[in-house]
Amino acid sequence: MKFSYSWLCDHLETDKSASEIGEALTNLGLELESLTDYSEYSKFVVATIKDFRKHPNADRLNICKVDDGTNTYQVICGANNVKKGLKGIFAKDGMYIPGTQINLKKGKIRGEISEGMLLSERELNLSDDHEGIIELLDDFQNGTSAVEALKLNDPIFEIGITPNRGDCLGVRGVARDLSAKGVGKLKPLNFKKITQLEFASPIIWNINNDDNSCEYVVSRYFKNVNNSKSPEWLQKKLISLGLRPINALVDITNYITIDLGRPLHVFDADKIGKKLDMRLANANERMLALDNKEYTLDKNTTVIADGDNALAIAGIIGGEYSGCTDDTKNVFLEVALFNPNSVAQTGRTLGINSDARYRFERGLDKNMVIEGLEYASYLINKICGGLVSKNIEAGKLDNFEYKINYNFDYFNKTIGLELDPQKQIKILKDLKFQISKSNEKECEVLVPSWRNDVKNKIDIVEEIIRIYGYENIKQSVPSASIDEIDKIDNSSTNKKFKSIKKLKKTLISNGISEVITFSFHSIRAQEILKGDKSLKISNAISDDQSYMRNSMIFNHLESVELNFKKGFKNIQLFEIGPIYNSSQSQENILSLLISTEENTNSIYKSEEFNFYSLTELTSILISSLNFDIKQFNISRSTSNTYHPGQSAELFMGKKLIARYGKVHPLIMEEFSKLKNCYAIELFFENLPIDSISRANKINISDSQFQFSEKDFSFLFEKEQNLYEVQRYVKGLDKNLIKNVEFFDLYVAKDLGDDSKSVTFRVTIQSKEKTLEEKDLEQLHKNILEKVSNKFKAKIRS
Amino acid sequence: MDIKKVLNEVTKEIEQSSSQQELQNVKVAYLGKKGIITELLKSLKDLSLEERKSSGSKLNLLRIEVDNLIKNKFNDLKIEEINSKLKNEYLDISFPPPNSIASKAHPISKTFDEVITIFGSMGYSVAEGPDIETDFFNFSALNIPENHPAREMQDTFYIDDKDKEGKPYVLRTHTSPVQIRTLLNQKPPVKIIAPGRTYRCDSDSTHSPMFHQVEGLFINENANMGNLKGTLIEFCKQFFNVQNLKVRFRPSYFPFTEPSAEMDIAYEIVNNKIQLGQGDRWLEILGCGMVNPIVLENCNVDTNIYQGFAFGVGLDRITMLKYGLTDIRSFFSGNLNWIASNGFTIGDF
Repeated sequence: MKFSYSWLCDHLETDKSASEIGEALTNLGLELESLTDYSEYSKFVVATIKDFRKHPNADRLNICKVDDGTNTYQVICGANNVKKGLKGIFAKDGMYIPGTQINLKKGKIRGEISEGMLLSERELNLSDDHEGIIELLDDFQNGTSAVEALKLNDPIFEIGITPNRGDCLGVRGVARDLSAKGVGKLKPLNFKKITQLEFASPIIWNINNDDNSCEYVVSRYFKNVNNSKSPEWLQKKLISLGLRPINALVDITNYITIDLGRPLHVFDADKIGKKLDMRLANANERMLALDNKEYTLDKNTTVIADGDNALAIAGIIGGEYSGCTDDTKNVFLEVALFNPNSVAQTGRTLGINSDARYRFERGLDKNMVIEGLEYASYLINKICGGLVSKNIEAGKLDNFEYKINYNFDYFNKTIGLELDPQKQIKILKDLKFQISKSNEKECEVLVPSWRNDVKNKIDIVEEIIRIYGYENIKQSVPSASIDEIDKIDNSSTNKKFKSIKKLKKTLISNGISEVITFSFHSIRAQEILKGDKSLKISNAISDDQSYMRNSMIFNHLESVELNFKKGFKNIQLFEIGPIYNSSQSQENILSLLISTEENTNSIYKSEEFNFYSLTELTSILISSLNFDIKQFNISRSTSNTYHPGQSAELFMGKKLIARYGKVHPLIMEEFSKLKNCYAIELFFENLPIDSISRANKINISDSQFQFSEKDFSFLFEKEQNLYEVQRYVKGLDKNLIKNVEFFDLYVAKDLGDDSKSVTFRVTIQSKEKTLEEKDLEQLHKNILEKVSNKFKAKIRS
Repeated sequence: MDIKKVLNEVTKEIEQSSSQQELQNVKVAYLGKKGIITELLKSLKDLSLEERKSSGSKLNLLRIEVDNLIKNKFNDLKIEEINSKLKNEYLDISFPPPNSIASKAHPISKTFDEVITIFGSMGYSVAEGPDIETDFFNFSALNIPENHPAREMQDTFYIDDKDKEGKPYVLRTHTSPVQIRTLLNQKPPVKIIAPGRTYRCDSDSTHSPMFHQVEGLFINENANMGNLKGTLIEFCKQFFNVQNLKVRFRPSYFPFTEPSAEMDIAYEIVNNKIQLGQGDRWLEILGCGMVNPIVLENCNVDTNIYQGFAFGVGLDRITMLKYGLTDIRSFFSGNLNWIASNGFTIGDF
């Protein structure tokens, strides 16, 4: 919402400066977004070039004699429009030039003294024009201030209006709020009602829809008007806000929309029929609107029509064909009350953002209908002459009456501040709320007609504190109670965030960087990774962000590729965040991607990263959450994201804990520059959270006595799960078998296609004694027999 | 028998030994089973008691001295040998290591952590809600009815799929739906924060289609607006690490709070950089207010007993302000150069 200082003063008697008013507006909740105030430009004055000559040392420069009314100065000027007698704007030595942000300094330019500067529009921040110096066309006296000469004496306010404050979408409403804040006194509306309503309107109304989209409409017919340019005062007002004056009739409606916040519409009465309907549009009915666009309407759109022709879209925009032009002789003025919901819905469906829609959908002051009609009639009659008809109306205009029972204590309890009932009442009265039935404790508040947003007693509290001032609220910090600390300690979400932090620390210390990528998937990623269809975004910004992701791997491959293009090799990154299984299911996981390149450095050799390195990293991550990778059930992954032979899934019961492996070559096809990529997805939310955070203790026995090691080799079936073997061997003697470490795997043709040779080392140690040879032999024998029986494994010597 | 002569000879031979083997040979020649000194000691038995006494002690001293000399020489030779071996093991210590980029945590992680810690010290536990929300939780329950202009304050992403009410799912436009989820699940008092991802269809250098917010909610019998003001000022002081912090609360509007406020903090430009805390310019930091009783009633909370406040802070925004970052899009670009420059090492995190 934009308005000028002088416009505000039409409604508000005040001695406050523009910046004081700006501050008050912000404190009222009408946030000042910008204040264009040129009052400081009064230091710049009108001056005339009395004479000029070429600069002896510079082709493009001129030496001008400039008269500012009191003195004559020598000014070196590079503008190409320098001429004798030119009147421009002059800045003297020491003055700050806003456009260049420098202080002007008297000095020599190419050997000639310069005592000031003739300014361009850009140097005054008035426009981007730097073609030449300002050339005043009117004959101002030298020494006249630039503010006066350039007509900059009217500061422009631009304020943000929150959706609840439709009443401040008119200058008068803003003035009313300011007066309640004590910034000035609200002036009465200054116009004369037209008393000579001579004839009945030849055009009549019929409200012909049953969806309540129009409550009431009232009109007047103006005969024999003379429509042409608006008077200067009106044009100036519109121009000051950057609006283009059109003709008097249109300008008047625009003016009243801004002045009172009351949209109204004028039809050229000779272009419309004699019977106007307020009706719902037919399906696919079309109308060319004033914005020169043709709109296709639907059955939910309310239109003003004469028979089959839609003349205007109710509360939103008028039609091109029925509009007023310079030739208009007879006018039909329409002032209506439209339902905010229907206007909002229609406006959104059609995508029209008009001043009228903006105001109607926020709800209008019911009592302003007749006032708007009278004010518009007065202006039309005064400016365009002619005769005015009696009112023609349809529907019913109810009186706005809304009462709230309010107890003064409620303010104190909500705000934490004691404010005397009398002071509360004073503020409400200043806001034009009426108070009745008041006693020490409570009262009845009658809400003014323009405040349809005030509905409950909490809204009354808000009004009072808004005027009393948020700066007067006394601050205090409620400290944490023992109960609250207890809740934090027991909160599973707090525990989860703790374990996320642990994971992050482990990852960073392993040389892996954290990234955050969008929760989206491109169409391509969605196709390849086959996410759930319910994840499609209806109004996506781009094809790259069309779905919610069901995995982070694609995003991370994109990140890796981006960094690869920046010259990085061996990129390792992770993200902890959400993935989406369907519109109703999401989970937070850790996803990690490692991209490996061949190492060409002959000095710093590192071993090639492979599936087993990845397994080790998975194990480290799981250990950092106090679990042991070997306690889970392992199986091959069936996910199409991974290489089927080099990927694994870990389960705890039926819950997936981790999935890791080499990224499927078909996916890598999309990222042709990258070589091998490995990924880990850790579904940490599936781990029992209490175990994670409360140091899930793993008991490792410690003994003083000598240990012994023995290697065992077996020929297993090829798909034999070795985690099972490991668990089984350990379980054979929990007291003596301390460790089972697998260290060799041999798969070759000579073993046959179905077998693998596996070697593991068993560490045996007692807590009580050094074991004797015969005890050890017995145990070795036991292991050999039991393992070969249990797993149908052949013993290899 | 001239002990001195023997000592001179053996000393000479020890000194001349250049390897451990040579020295061993000397040792055998003098102290071995048939060594010179051993033989001399053996020959003592042929002497008289008197002579045996005097010669014996001298010979023993000789034996000890030779033994020491040999041991010392052995030690010297060993050091010499290792030293000469080391000479062949010199590496080029200046061969530069391959370039590697520091692995770091994302600045948002650091902010999440600080927010949870600071509010944790004030008694707030952490709560969560889904990113894909129903119309009810994101709008209606928060007193934002359909067709209300307030809906257009936020550009909403919609999902094709529809919820039980037949309305399309939305990507939550704020973390406020967690207020509703928490209040429907938990009887007051409630004191929670809910950090998380939020979405609006908007994209430029200050807007990202995805960003982060933290929601705060405190409901009990008497949490008032003064408490709200104090809590948020305390948070900003701690988060921005500015004790002398000039702030401004000004009226605003959110359908789910009444009265509503926005909090600004003062700043000034010093050496082309934003310095927070003092000055006469204002930066909008967060929105807040007393929870609208309509919202509490939507959650079946008895408004005759309970009241409280809520707030929402843009985490990317306060992170940018704290660390002087300018383009929100770089947060989510996955650019490791950016992470290495702006992230946090394990010690700082």
